[in-house]
Amino acid sequence: MGQNAILVDLGQCIGCQACIVACKTGRELAPGEAYIHIREDVRGRFPNLTGSFVHHRCFHCADAACVAVCPTGALSKVDGLTAVDLAKCSGCGYCVDACPYGIPEMVDGHVSKCTGCTDLTQEGQEPWCVQTCPSGALKLGPRESMLSLARERAALLAKRFTSAQVYGETQLGGLGALFVLPDEPLAFGLPEQPQVPTTITAWQRGVQPLTQGITGLSVLATALAFVFARREHHREKRALAAQAAQGEAGDDSGR
Amino acid sequence: MTAAVETRILRYRPRQRLVHWLGVGTVLTLLVTGLALLWPPLSFIAWGGVGPTLHRVGAVLFMALPFAYALLNPRQTRELLVEIFTYDREDWAWLKHFPGYFLGHAAGLPPQGRLNAGQKLHHAGTFLAFITVSLSGLALWFLKGSLGATWLPVMAMLHDVSMLAVTVLFVGHVYFTFVYDALPAMTTGYVSPEYARLEHARWLEELTPAAPAVETPETDEPTEIVVQQA
Repeated sequence: MGQNAILVDLGQCIGCQACIVACKTGRELAPGEAYIHIREDVRGRFPNLTGSFVHHRCFHCADAACVAVCPTGALSKVDGLTAVDLAKCSGCGYCVDACPYGIPEMVDGHVSKCTGCTDLTQEGQEPWCVQTCPSGALKLGPRESMLSLARERAALLAKRFTSAQVYGETQLGGLGALFVLPDEPLAFGLPEQPQVPTTITAWQRGVQPLTQGITGLSVLATALAFVFARREHHREKRALAAQAAQGEAGDDSGR
Repeated sequence: MTAAVETRILRYRPRQRLVHWLGVGTVLTLLVTGLALLWPPLSFIAWGGVGPTLHRVGAVLFMALPFAYALLNPRQTRELLVEIFTYDREDWAWLKHFPGYFLGHAAGLPPQGRLNAGQKLHHAGTFLAFITVSLSGLALWFLKGSLGATWLPVMAMLHDVSMLAVTVLFVGHVYFTFVYDALPAMTTGYVSPEYARLEHARWLEELTPAAPAVETPETDEPTEIVVQQA
């Protein structure tokens, strides 16, 4: 399958929270655990108020920092979405710190974040949230199609909300969750261009391979040198013993 | 008929050997469970959180062990710390011959004390890495989720590099142990006079009461020479 994306159209979201319920039920989440959080956001000054529902959920970044730092492969990219294999999660919590959006949480010692329902999407089904959304605000499809649709929707919204735009087209290599926003990203608490710190890249692509390499090299070098060094040392010990015996014999004959 | 006589020299007392082997156990536990988070072929050890739990148990023992030893043996600990950070002219001369020593040549090297210069460097490096690996490990453990995207990699890199130092020193330690047949010192506690003469001539000299112009060291370290009927 190609690159999929989830379209989240905040211009169509009615805040019913059916997606949250479907997600919790479908994914059998623990009490209190949720992969989607929705809050109503009202902006402006009375009587010039605008409101929208803000979704806080995994953005499925193409250059996902959580996937980069996950040491066990519990987080991975599947068809453009960031999948989770809970059985592989070690509970290290690196993803919690690394995510520029602050999405992953630790629940019962393992990562808790949207899995993209990749188990369903790989069987041709839609994620639970998309299946349930009654207003058509959530959709899943090939990323290019979803992007075209998002642009159309943003253009339509722009007639009424001049700052309406698509979020996720370029951020972090292109997000797997495309948002149609009726306003500027910052109004929804979204950074314009989130960054993964260079220290994460240095750690993952520099220090870790170097650590593995030097460790392997030290084992290899000592293993190879061992055979030679041990033989040399034993030869040296024999020579010293012979020297000592000769000295003792000399002492005896001198008496 | 005269019975053959074997002389052997006490090098490590039981308590020292116990601390050493407990240390080996904790380092190996930490190494394997830590490598599971670094080297993909071993990542299965960390699945489900079993590896990390073992890592934390190992870490507590790893950190507690030196403190427990220092509490029970404050003077020896202080002396050891001074010793591993003190290098005299003979130590530097010995280090110049390190490549030859690495390849199995110990004869003719400048005489060494209880610890040779290589052992001093090993212990000093392990001590420093112990501090950095412990501090970064505690940060990764107790500040999980609040380190943020900047401090997580900083602490993780410090932890990785510290453990790399511990690992390379550990590999070197094992290497020299087996090249120079030094294992009995940590299993039985004793070494042969030949070994002591070749590796730690100055220490042997200090142990011998008849040694001229050598002061008896004020230490609780093993100083007895045991003569045993074979």
